[in-house]
Amino acid sequence: MNKWQVLLVKEIKHLFRDTKTIVQTVVVPTFITPLLIGAIFWYVGSIATEETKKTYEISVYSSADSLLIDNLNDSDRLAITKEGSLEAVIEAVTFDKSEIGLVFDDSFVDDLTSNNSAQLTIYSKDIDTFSQAKSIVSNIVDDYEESIRNNRLELLNLDENYVNPITINEEDLTTEEESAGSIFGALLALFFVMYVISGSMYPAIDLGAGEKERGTMETLISTNISSVDIIIGKMLSVTSSAILTATFSMLGFAIPILIIFLFYADSVNEYLFGLLSAIVNPVALIGVFVLIIPLSVFMGAFLLAISVYAKTPKEAGLLLGNVLIVFIIPCYVPLINPGLELDFVGALIPCYNLALITNNLIAGTVDWFLYSVALLSTIVYCIVAIYITYIMFDDENVIFRS
Amino acid sequence: MIEVKNLSKQFKAPTEEKGLFGPKKKAFWAVKDLDFEIKKGSVASILGPNGCGKTTTLRMIAGMLTPSRGTAFVDSVDVRKDKQTVKSKIGYMTNNTSLYDRLNVIETVKFFAELNQISPDVYMPRAEKLFDQLDMRKYLNKRIADLSTGMKQKTSIVRTLIHDPDLIVLDEPTTGVDVTGQSVIVDLIKSIKDSGKTLIFSTHQLNEVRDIADHIIVMKAGEKIFDGNNNQFQELDRNKNFTEIFMELVNE
Repeated sequence: MNKWQVLLVKEIKHLFRDTKTIVQTVVVPTFITPLLIGAIFWYVGSIATEETKKTYEISVYSSADSLLIDNLNDSDRLAITKEGSLEAVIEAVTFDKSEIGLVFDDSFVDDLTSNNSAQLTIYSKDIDTFSQAKSIVSNIVDDYEESIRNNRLELLNLDENYVNPITINEEDLTTEEESAGSIFGALLALFFVMYVISGSMYPAIDLGAGEKERGTMETLISTNISSVDIIIGKMLSVTSSAILTATFSMLGFAIPILIIFLFYADSVNEYLFGLLSAIVNPVALIGVFVLIIPLSVFMGAFLLAISVYAKTPKEAGLLLGNVLIVFIIPCYVPLINPGLELDFVGALIPCYNLALITNNLIAGTVDWFLYSVALLSTIVYCIVAIYITYIMFDDENVIFRS
Repeated sequence: MIEVKNLSKQFKAPTEEKGLFGPKKKAFWAVKDLDFEIKKGSVASILGPNGCGKTTTLRMIAGMLTPSRGTAFVDSVDVRKDKQTVKSKIGYMTNNTSLYDRLNVIETVKFFAELNQISPDVYMPRAEKLFDQLDMRKYLNKRIADLSTGMKQKTSIVRTLIHDPDLIVLDEPTTGVDVTGQSVIVDLIKSIKDSGKTLIFSTHQLNEVRDIADHIIVMKAGEKIFDGNNNQFQELDRNKNFTEIFMELVNE
């Protein structure tokens, strides 16, 4: 075996005999995270389901009786409370006694009777995205408005088409793959990056600053192993841990999905089934994995360089914590802007390119030229990071920095 | 065997003056213009108070630090020009055991032997001999983390000697070691001396020096203040003991 191979075998043996490494690389990505994600989805799903059955409290102020109020009263999903003033309605909504407040203008009924436009004000708090109260109220109001409009047109002997000169027909051609890409692509990339970082962070600290603190770095460099062999051995150990974490995280996602397909396919919503099918796509999985490998090497070398520079594991942890933000933010941008598309400059930004390419790979719309740009640029970053690590390991001021 | 010529090392140390990014740094000579020769097969000791440059000197001789000025030759190989060859000739033991906690004794020895590209046919008999010599048989499959300090020290000795180096460098080998551990080290130094290998060690334990060393170098503030053999050291003042002479030297 070459010296770097001897070092690599030793480092992997040493790393994986530590329970922390096993927890970080295997247990958390394979079991804990899918369980957490499942729990979050279950909780959010149960809230959404509950909202479909909920009866909403509605406060209404009107100086006169209106058929619209009767229509609202007829809905099983709405419980109407009549208030004595506008202020009482606002107070009810402000202090969450009512979900929606409706204030009918004093001349509401007269305006409708005299073929004018009547004023109705809806008070609500739109931060509750799960609430269906506003849409139920709006649908009832729309139906009522439509019946009045039809009556007016009938009186004038006019056809409905007279006031609707253009009929817009909308057809959404988004495929299931594209939906899956926009919903899960950036999220998966964010998870992969987080796993690669968390999988390489502890080994980087242990093999860099940790060894300096324990004095084993001095022992190692006192032997006739070269800096290049040390870097290759250590960097590959860190990268192995990162790739292993990424692999287990992929399994952590894939296995629950496969179990759903095999045993619970009938009970899964058809739309959700389509989205999940789109993710389990060999081209997408291989494409993402091919990008993750150089990214893992890049991060491994980069984190190792920082760790070796640090005087203590504590300082390394602090420095690497900041690096985490630098890598995560580019991944987070496509997550909050699902419409973003990859261009040449974007393909050069590590992590950002992974997020958008994962979107495109799942959607089946990947531009292979930009994919190659992303892959090659990541390889270039790898080489630069390895060179920086080499400089660090070759600099006695860094190795003996204390 | 070891020829040190004008060997010097400059470091930067923080001062009390504050700068934009913390205390300002000032250059100082940790080792300055050191010259000495250590003959093949002799046991040399470097003495001096804390911070006098002993460890820096040993690290430069072992090729771990690059001299700022001057150089050292190990078996005529210049440490500035060929660190790797120098390192392959040396067995260096640091001033703490510095081993990998999660490896066991056998794995530790095997790792350092393989780093030196020695085949099991060669290193295993050598290791077996050392294990017997140091009475380590019962502990071979125990992880380093589970060993006593003395046993860690013994493991450290085996890994230092496993590639059969021509020169053994021990940096304060008895510091932080209990009486049993100290006796192991002293016995080791004696057996190395008997085997005819060259050994250089730094220490605070003057008794060890008096009993074992053929050659004594005393350093103070990075500079050599004495270079001679045991008798020459005692000749400095016949009416004083070893410790008193040393104290007088370093306090002058």
